[in-house]
Amino acid sequence: MLRTAPDGPELDESRPIFIQIAEQVENDIIDGTLPEGSQIPSTNEFAAFLRVNPATALKGVNRLVDDGIVEKRRGIGMFVTAGARARLIERRRAEFAAQYLRPLIVEAEKLGIDIDELAGLLRAERIQS
Amino acid sequence: MTAVATAPDTVTTPRFRPHEVFRVVRLHTVNPSIFFGVPWLILGGALVVTILIALILRGSGISDSEDGFRYSWAVLSPQWYLVVVGVQAVAYTFPFALGFGATRRDYWLGTSAMFVFVSFEMAVAIATLVQIEQATNGWGIGAGMFDALWYGIDGWWVDFYSTFALQLLVLFIGASITTVFMRWRMKGMMILLFGGIALLLALIAGLTFTESWPAVFDWFGSIGLVGVFTVLLGLAAVCAVVGYLVIRRATPR
Amino acid sequence: MTRTVVRASGLTKRYGSFTAVDGVDLALEEHKIYGLLGRNGAGKTTIMQLLTGQLFRNGGELEVFGREPAEHADVLRRMCFIAEAQRYPEDFTPAHVFKAAPWFFEHWDAEFAERLVADFRLPLKRRIKKLSRGQLSAVGVIVGLASRAPLTFFDEPYLGLDAVARHIFYDRLLEDYAEHPRTVVLSTHLIDEVANLLEHVILIDQGRILLDRDAEEVRGSATTVAGASRVVDEFVADRPVIGRESLGGLASVTIDGRLDRDERVRAAELGLELAPVSLQQLIVHLTGPEPAGAPEKEVAA
Repeated sequence: MLRTAPDGPELDESRPIFIQIAEQVENDIIDGTLPEGSQIPSTNEFAAFLRVNPATALKGVNRLVDDGIVEKRRGIGMFVTAGARARLIERRRAEFAAQYLRPLIVEAEKLGIDIDELAGLLRAERIQS
Repeated sequence: MTAVATAPDTVTTPRFRPHEVFRVVRLHTVNPSIFFGVPWLILGGALVVTILIALILRGSGISDSEDGFRYSWAVLSPQWYLVVVGVQAVAYTFPFALGFGATRRDYWLGTSAMFVFVSFEMAVAIATLVQIEQATNGWGIGAGMFDALWYGIDGWWVDFYSTFALQLLVLFIGASITTVFMRWRMKGMMILLFGGIALLLALIAGLTFTESWPAVFDWFGSIGLVGVFTVLLGLAAVCAVVGYLVIRRATPR
Repeated sequence: MTRTVVRASGLTKRYGSFTAVDGVDLALEEHKIYGLLGRNGAGKTTIMQLLTGQLFRNGGELEVFGREPAEHADVLRRMCFIAEAQRYPEDFTPAHVFKAAPWFFEHWDAEFAERLVADFRLPLKRRIKKLSRGQLSAVGVIVGLASRAPLTFFDEPYLGLDAVARHIFYDRLLEDYAEHPRTVVLSTHLIDEVANLLEHVILIDQGRILLDRDAEEVRGSATTVAGASRVVDEFVADRPVIGRESLGGLASVTIDGRLDRDERVRAAELGLELAPVSLQQLIVHLTGPEPAGAPEKEVAA
């Protein structure tokens, strides 16, 4: 489920790990790897797999719970909530402009690419991929 | 965000804790060769050598007097080793016990108990071996190892008492000197060494100049064998107490 | 509601004119893995020796499980201190050590110890004197793990362990900690290896605490700004600087704190590159030599 390198999971040393755990689960929900209603690994499983402190893994899972992405079913485990995917996509859409478009525009301006040229490049790139 | 418990959650246990003291004793016996194996190996070896020499002498006809062959100091052969045992009990076992969570007090009590036990065991054995040697007339060939020095004169109890006192002293001397090193390291050892030598020289000088040597010898004569060994036992007790006072604030490194 | 298992205030230890531990305030809570980080000689070992009653303090107050640790068997019984330079009695073998361990640690798990002996390939009957540095470290590590003591200290116990053995240690520690939570204090200068295990970081330098924070908070709490020297200096003008490197006309300055979105945009527009800072890098900056002209480094705890 979590994408890993052959010799172990790759974690960014300079960002809080609990955020990265939450993000990874969110990514998997968005791309369909984790359908709604499916179970996610337990805190201890995350911790053992990623080789991180269980408290850190718990923090990551709690973040998902707080955001309503995942819910706890007593005695069974943690499950993806209904509508989680939709909620995540909406949130990502809202951040999309700031997170991806702004830097794109700044860089384009640096290189002297105007808005129409930029749109053309986007279309061409889209066709290729 | 986090509340904090301030009351101590450990129960105050009684001053004397047999379990904690006993586990130090067990620690000393985990490797039985140190306190039991090697000393008996040394004695055994000395006995074999004594018997062999006696046989050789007998065989070559040199000695057929009733005295037989007596290797006088063989019975004391393990003592040097036991000084080292006393030293290592503190040098190695103390840091180890401390590292495992023993208190210095329990460590010293346990080690003292071990010393008493070992001295007792050796004293019983040697006193008994003296009797056996006498009864068999020197192991059947006139070889005398245990029935030597002051042994075999006043009976089992005196032999037992003297061995016990000597053994205890030997063990505690090694241990208590090492406590000085544990607490004050090289500096302390130097002071102890030079101070000790200075004191000894002063004592000898004092006795010589006041011509008190004959009085000293007379006194020793008057208190007899038992008296002399009681003095040794007293010294052992002093070493034990001093060692405890020193080790109370010693650190393992 | 978590309990405090260690509380120290103004803890001080002096050796003649040298102050090894200088007025340290510390509070360790139960069921956490702490990293006690710092350079060699910073005071990590001394602090642990004070906490475990091996050394006597010169000043301040110290409570472990509610009492002074030194010479109190009830407190000592609940701790396990695995020291870098542990001495063992003459002619002891690892087998002897593991035989004695249950007498001192009431939660000792002999089966767990056995599995660890196999993991580390430790020759049980070989005398400790004859063991390699790595095998000697393995003995300590096994005792520390299998003791299951409520408060366990590992003082750089992995010196001598090869990389494979170290990772076995980290894995076993995490596994066992998840199943049997306790308070673990790891001191090390191999920060990048243990960074992910830690829940809380305490950084010591020259006997004083520089940092005492949740590990996740520290991760990414600093930023490196790189680019043309003049531009960089202007950009970081009124921010706390904790590190600086320059090469020709380029400079790379590490500041405490994250930049918000507007600041990031502004940095991009100025042609500056921003990079996050890992725990290891942060600590190197905080405890390394002072950058020329920078103010005294003090990061809020």
